[in-house]
Amino acid sequence: MAYDASDDPRQLFGRPTPRIDGVAKVTGAARYASDEPVANPAYAYLVTSAVARGRVAGFDLDQARAAPGFIDVLTHENVGGQVKTNPDPAGKPDNTTTLESDKIWHDGQIIAVVLAESFEAARDAAHRVGVRYAAEAPSASFDSPGVQVEAHKPQTPDAKKGDAAGAFEGAPVKVEARYSTPTQHHNPIELFTTTCVWDGPKLTIYEPTQSMWGLKGGLAKQLSLDPKDVRTVSRFVGGAFGSKGSPTGRTAWIALAAKRLNRPVKLIASRDQGFTIATYRAETRQQVKLGATRDGKLVSFFHEGWEVTSRPSGYNVAGVETTARMYACPNIATAVNVVHADRNTPGFMRAPPETPYMFGLESAMDELAYALNMDPVELRRVNDTQTDPVDGRPFSSRSLMPCFDQAAARFGWSRRDPKPGAMRDGDWQVGWGCATACYPSNIGPAAARLSLTPSGKAAIQLAGHEIGTGAYTTVAVTVAHALGLKVEDVTVTMGDSDLPPVPVAGGSNNAASTTNVAYKACQMVRDRVAGAAVKAQDSPFHGADPAALRLQDGLLRGPGNLSEPLDKAVARTGGRLEVYAENIPAGLPPSAAQGLYEGKMVMSRGTGRKDVTAFAFGAHFVEMRVHVRTREARVGRVVSAFAAGTIVNPTTAHSQFMSGAIWGLSAALHEATEIDADAARYVNDNLADYLLPVNADVPPIEIIMVPEKDDRVNPLGVKGIGEIGITGMNAAVANAVFHATGKRIRDLPIRVEHLL
Amino acid sequence: MDRTQPEGPSRRHVIGAAAGIAAVPAVGSAAETGRAAQSDASGKVDMTLTVNGQARRAMLDVRTSLLDALREHLDLTGSKKGCDQGQCGACTVHVDGERVLSCLILAVSVQGRRITTIEGLAEAGGRLHPMQQAFIDQDGFQCGYCTPGQILSAIACVNEGHAGSDDEIREYMSGNLCRCAAYPKIVAAIKQARPQMAVSPGTPAKVGQV
Repeated sequence: MAYDASDDPRQLFGRPTPRIDGVAKVTGAARYASDEPVANPAYAYLVTSAVARGRVAGFDLDQARAAPGFIDVLTHENVGGQVKTNPDPAGKPDNTTTLESDKIWHDGQIIAVVLAESFEAARDAAHRVGVRYAAEAPSASFDSPGVQVEAHKPQTPDAKKGDAAGAFEGAPVKVEARYSTPTQHHNPIELFTTTCVWDGPKLTIYEPTQSMWGLKGGLAKQLSLDPKDVRTVSRFVGGAFGSKGSPTGRTAWIALAAKRLNRPVKLIASRDQGFTIATYRAETRQQVKLGATRDGKLVSFFHEGWEVTSRPSGYNVAGVETTARMYACPNIATAVNVVHADRNTPGFMRAPPETPYMFGLESAMDELAYALNMDPVELRRVNDTQTDPVDGRPFSSRSLMPCFDQAAARFGWSRRDPKPGAMRDGDWQVGWGCATACYPSNIGPAAARLSLTPSGKAAIQLAGHEIGTGAYTTVAVTVAHALGLKVEDVTVTMGDSDLPPVPVAGGSNNAASTTNVAYKACQMVRDRVAGAAVKAQDSPFHGADPAALRLQDGLLRGPGNLSEPLDKAVARTGGRLEVYAENIPAGLPPSAAQGLYEGKMVMSRGTGRKDVTAFAFGAHFVEMRVHVRTREARVGRVVSAFAAGTIVNPTTAHSQFMSGAIWGLSAALHEATEIDADAARYVNDNLADYLLPVNADVPPIEIIMVPEKDDRVNPLGVKGIGEIGITGMNAAVANAVFHATGKRIRDLPIRVEHLL
Repeated sequence: MDRTQPEGPSRRHVIGAAAGIAAVPAVGSAAETGRAAQSDASGKVDMTLTVNGQARRAMLDVRTSLLDALREHLDLTGSKKGCDQGQCGACTVHVDGERVLSCLILAVSVQGRRITTIEGLAEAGGRLHPMQQAFIDQDGFQCGYCTPGQILSAIACVNEGHAGSDDEIREYMSGNLCRCAAYPKIVAAIKQARPQMAVSPGTPAKVGQV
C-alpha cells in the first residue's frame, strides 16, 4: 500500500469487523459481574415492602432467625443511620430511601436484607421475615387522588420563541391532540446483582454498571469512604438500557453486610424485585398543538408533557427539548409537568426523552399531513431545516431528508394509496406509516492508557462499558487503524474502575467519547515515534518533518514511500511505549476533567452547545397488517435509514440500529408495565406477563446507513447510534395502523382491543 | 409413554423428585449411578453430576437448582440466570441431548444424566462448534448474556428438525428471550450452522418438542 498523507481520521473507519469479544461471549468465558469467583460468599436476599406508602411498624424475625443457614438480617432498626441515600438518576439528593428509616415510599422498596450460608437458605429465611406495616392509601399514577403536580425545574429554560398561542389561533390548518405512553421497565436479561468483597479498608464491588467511575464515586460518598478505596468491576454487562446507569439503593447495604460479616456477600435480586429496586421509564401524557399554512409550513408548535415520578424526586426527561428542534417553526412553546406519586423513582431508559415525546410529535405530524391532504414525507421536507429552530444555531449536520428519501425508495412508498383502509391483502388490512428518528449527539471527557511494543502489539486500557454496543471492538478498531496494525494485534481492557475513567455508557456518547480519546492516545504514540525517528541518524526520516510521518501497515511511513519497521521505530523511544491520554471535548470547561475523576455525569450535549446543535437523524417506514376479523395487528416489514456521522464499525452499528428499531416496535405494540391503581403496585412484574418481543414477533427489518460526514460534531465525526433506532418507531407504527384501519391510536401500546 | 413428550426431565419429574426427597433416600436417577443420595444434618445432599463429560461431586442443599449448582458450586458460570422461573431461556442447557431450563430443574434430580453446558461445546483444541462460530459471523448477539442459552437452544432446534424454514426457526427459538433483540441475526446464524452440523445417527429428529 502506498503512503497515505491524509490527516482525516474518518478514513480509518467503516470496515465491518466481528466483535473481538465474540469468542468469549459464545463460549461462556465472558465474565459478567455475578460470574466473578469470590471465596466463600454469604448470600443476600432482599425483603421488599408489600405496601406502597406508610412505614414499617416492626419486624417479626424469629422465624427467619430459626431458618437453617441464617446468618444476619439488616433492617432500619440495626443499620438505619449507617449509609447515605443514593441520589436520584439526575444526581439530585432527593430520592426514595431503603433501609435508612422506617419510611416506605413505594411498593417493592427494600426494607430488609437477609444473609445466609447459601442462596437457598437466604431465600427461605427472607420469606420467613414478618413485617408489620402502618400503611396509608397510596397514589399510583395520573388521576389518582393525592398526587402532586408541579412544573418541572429545567436546567436550561424551556424552549420558547415568538407567540405560539396567537399563531395557532390564526393558523389555517390545525392539529390538536393528546397522547400517552405507558410505564416501561428495561428488563435486561441479566438481573440486578451485587457482590461486595472487603480487603482491609478496600472495597471491591462486582456489579453490572454503565458507569464504573460513577458507581465508585457514588458508593464512596454513600459509605463515607475514600474513593481510592472503592473499586468497581463489571467486565461485561448483560444488557442495561439505562437501568444500570446510576447507583441504586441496594449496593451500599450489600457492602455494609460484607463488612459486618467480614466475608464476601453476593446478592442476586429476583426478576420481580428488579421492577422496584431500580428505575423505569415513567408513563407520560402529552398535548401537542400544530398550526400550519395550507402548503404545510408550520407556524405554531406547542408541546406539553406530564410525567410521573416518585414523591421526593423531580426526575423527568422533558423530551420537548428535542421535539421543539425537529422542524422549522417561527412560534414555539413547550412545558413539562411532573406528577409525584407513591412510586419508585424513574430513570433513564433507552432514548429517555425521545421515545415518549417523539411519539407525540410524529403522530401529530401524521395527523397534520392528513389534515393538509399532503404526503407525510413531503410534510417533513417542507419543514426541514439546517438551523436549530429554537436557538438559531446550525445543525452540525442534518441528513433527515436523505434518510427519508432512501428509505422511502427502498420501501416502495410511492406505491402508497394514502386513503385509510385502501390497501388490502386478503383478510389483512395493510397500512404504511413513517416517522422521523433523532437523537442528540453527546460526547464526554474520557481518559485512556495506551501502550505499543516494538513487536507491534498495542494494548489500551480504559474503564469502558460493554453493554452490548460492541464497545471493546470500536476501541480496538480505532487503535488498530490509527496505529496501522491489525485488529487482532490490539488488546482492549475495560470494565474496571482501576482503569482510566470514561463517562457513563448512556446518552449514546460511548462511541464518540471512547474513540476520540483512543485516537488522541494513538496520536500521542505516533508523535513520540515520529519525533524520535526524525532525530535519529539511523532513521530514513532523519531531519524530516515529524508531522508528515504516519503509522501505516505495521510501518512508520513518510513521503516518497520511505518507511521504517515498527520494531526499530518503537524501540528507539525506549522499548515499550506508553501514553496516558485525556480528551476534554471542545466547549466543556476545564473542570470537566475533575468531574470525570469524581464519577460525575459531565457531557457536551447535542443541544447545549454554543457552536452547533448536534443530532443524528433517521426515518422509519413500517408496514402494519391488521386482520379484518380478529383485529390481530402484525408488523409486515420495516425499512429504516439513519445518518449518524462516522460509522466506526458497520457490523455492530447495524445491530444497534436494528435492535433499536425492534425496541421501537415493542414500544408501539408490546411493552407496558400494568399498575394496580389501588395498591400502586406493578402487576406484570415478570418476563411472561411483561410483553417483550420474541423471535417470532420480529419481521424482516432492513437498515440503511446513509453516509454522512460531520466536520463539527467532534474530531472523528462520530454520532451516537445506540438509542436513535427506537425513536419515532412507535409513531411510525401508529401511523401505519391509522393508514390500515382509519383508527388513530394515541395511547400506547396498541393492542387488539383498540382496533375493534 | 406418550411419544410426543420429551424423554428428558420434565416439570413432572422435577416435582416428583422434590416431593420424594424426605421419604426416599435414593432420589431421581442416583440409583443408576449405584450410589444413593445421602443428606447430612444441614439438609445437604452428596450428589454427582455428569457435566460436559466429567463427573462432578458436591454437597449441595437439596433445593439447589441445576442452574445454581452449575453457577455457584461447579464454577460453570456460562449458563445464565435471567428470571429463575423458566420464562427467559438464558439458563438453557442440554440434558441427554435435549434442551431444558436448568433453573426449573433440581440438581439432585439429574444425577446420572448427561449435562452439556456452553463450556462443553467447543472442541478441546478450542475449535468452536459451528453454531458458536455462526453466532460470531452473523453478529447474533449484543450483550451476550442470553447467548449461551440461545446457542444451546439453537443446536437443539436443528437437531430436533425444527430449523426447516425461517418461520420455523423463529417459532422454535421463541422460548429464548433476547432483550438486545438480535433475533434476525440469530435466525441467520442458525441457517449458517444448520448444514455444518453433523446429524448424529443415534438421535433421530423428534416431533412435538420445544
